Amino acid sequence: MNVSLQSALPEKLLMDSESERRVLSSMMHSEDACVEAYHALQSADFYSPKNASIFDLLCSLFEREIRPTYVELLKEAHSLGMLNSPRDVEEIKYITEHYIDDENIKYWIKRVKDKSRIRRFVDFLRFNYQILKEQPEQDVEQLLMKAEDNLTNLTALEIDDKIDTPEEMANLGYDEVERRFLRYQEIQKDHKGIIPLDGLPTGFDNLDHITLGYKAGDLIILGAQTGHGKTAFALHTAKSIAVNYGKNILYLNTEMSREQISLRWASILSDIEHDRIRMGDISQSELSMVLNGYSKLRSSGFYSYPCPNLTPEKTVSIARKFRTQKSIDMMIIDYVGRMEKHDPKLQEWQILEQIIKTQKLLAQNLKIAVMVLVQLNPDGSLQGAKRMKNECDLMLKLGPISREELEENELLNKYARKPNYYLDIEKNRDGRSGVRIPIIFDLQKQTMKDAERVAN
Amino acid sequence: MPSRNTDLKRLYDETASLIADMGIRGRISIEEMNFLLDLLELVLTNKEQSSFIQELKQWNPGIGEEEIDQIIKATLLNNKLKDFLSLSENREMIQDLIREKYKDG
Repeated sequence: MNVSLQSALPEKLLMDSESERRVLSSMMHSEDACVEAYHALQSADFYSPKNASIFDLLCSLFEREIRPTYVELLKEAHSLGMLNSPRDVEEIKYITEHYIDDENIKYWIKRVKDKSRIRRFVDFLRFNYQILKEQPEQDVEQLLMKAEDNLTNLTALEIDDKIDTPEEMANLGYDEVERRFLRYQEIQKDHKGIIPLDGLPTGFDNLDHITLGYKAGDLIILGAQTGHGKTAFALHTAKSIAVNYGKNILYLNTEMSREQISLRWASILSDIEHDRIRMGDISQSELSMVLNGYSKLRSSGFYSYPCPNLTPEKTVSIARKFRTQKSIDMMIIDYVGRMEKHDPKLQEWQILEQIIKTQKLLAQNLKIAVMVLVQLNPDGSLQGAKRMKNECDLMLKLGPISREELEENELLNKYARKPNYYLDIEKNRDGRSGVRIPIIFDLQKQTMKDAERVAN
Repeated sequence: MPSRNTDLKRLYDETASLIADMGIRGRISIEEMNFLLDLLELVLTNKEQSSFIQELKQWNPGIGEEEIDQIIKATLLNNKLKDFLSLSENREMIQDLIREKYKDG
């Protein structure tokens, strides 16, 4: 049976030129399709070297924030000396003509990927066939064990589904303990006992102390009743991370227009009442303060995407795009109740649960923190709360302190300025929960801060 | 029946291929090729319909004053197309030249 495996197999089993062309064509015609293919495929998945080169060119344009259209591809290919004859143009044109409905992109990507895996399987067979032929006396047990190992790597074990060996688990654990040990030493020596953050600053010292910041892969849920500061909290977080800390953040808002969001920043950054800014009732010197505030925003890492028809799928593609192009460390969705729902048969809580699950996966896969804002019922409860709590790493609730409590709770008098809101930590995967943090929310200026206790 | 969307994609692809083909064959210069590709991108992908694009549609090169045609062309090729949309100076110059060309007609 001295035959080459590859030549014995029909070519159509090993390659699917049509699918390759359709994927490339849709990358050139749809930005969403491009995001999808960029993350799902590698140039090695393409059988045709020419298609692989085109894929690389499209990815390179995309990474440089140039929408990889056919025109851009032609210009790029020409500038790199890859477009030298009318035949080259004809070949690329033939690829672009393989139009698909943009929503079918996943189907065509899967076909390209499947063929790529088949080819790797054939390589595996050929490799083992060759070993058998050349080393017939080798230890059978070892041969089979090695083959099984290689075959296992070819099956469903993609990077995201990797299984840790005992050795890898032990190494990972030791590295983590060592990292914490060294950090503890550093805290004692350099930071005089103050624990540095593990993630992004929350904007509240007390919350930072308990959570050590919003970490990559974390899903944070913030619940508040309507009109009780959801957007103010989101922008306070954004200010802390993108303006003060200089990290990149993507803010998705389903309710407000670009103008409304940009106006909110005026009061947050200048400490001037929002109503007066809206009416234009400010002095010349206050106008300078506003200008000064916006200059901080200009050099910050705050990227805003107002999107009234946001869907869970869209959040995935936007987050991937911004992760690649802007290296965002966090995404905030303000807020989830306004997202478009495709399946009318599902109950509200089922839809919310699906959205939350998607966001958790997204946070883990992209290694960013994702904050989702949800609306609480008038009684302060949250529909499907138990399920949401299971999925998230940190669950916070924001609400005003009742008038009765403000009058009767003696502890609240121990603050320099009386707090008017509580931030409740309902769940904290990495630390204490059930903690209530008093804060001051200035509704007029749309600002929030920790309530400071007076020293005894 | 192909959708309007597919028709638009086809129109875009055919035009881009034609421009690139002419550039490769040397029937137009590389600068002309890049300008035309940018213009196509602007109108069909970015859906740019500013007054500048409308003015350009009025320009009929090859008919009338040849010298003005040459000046308009040189001005267009020597600047980035996007600058004509953002910088009013450049835009006004082209608009004046087109008006000049047709003032007697």
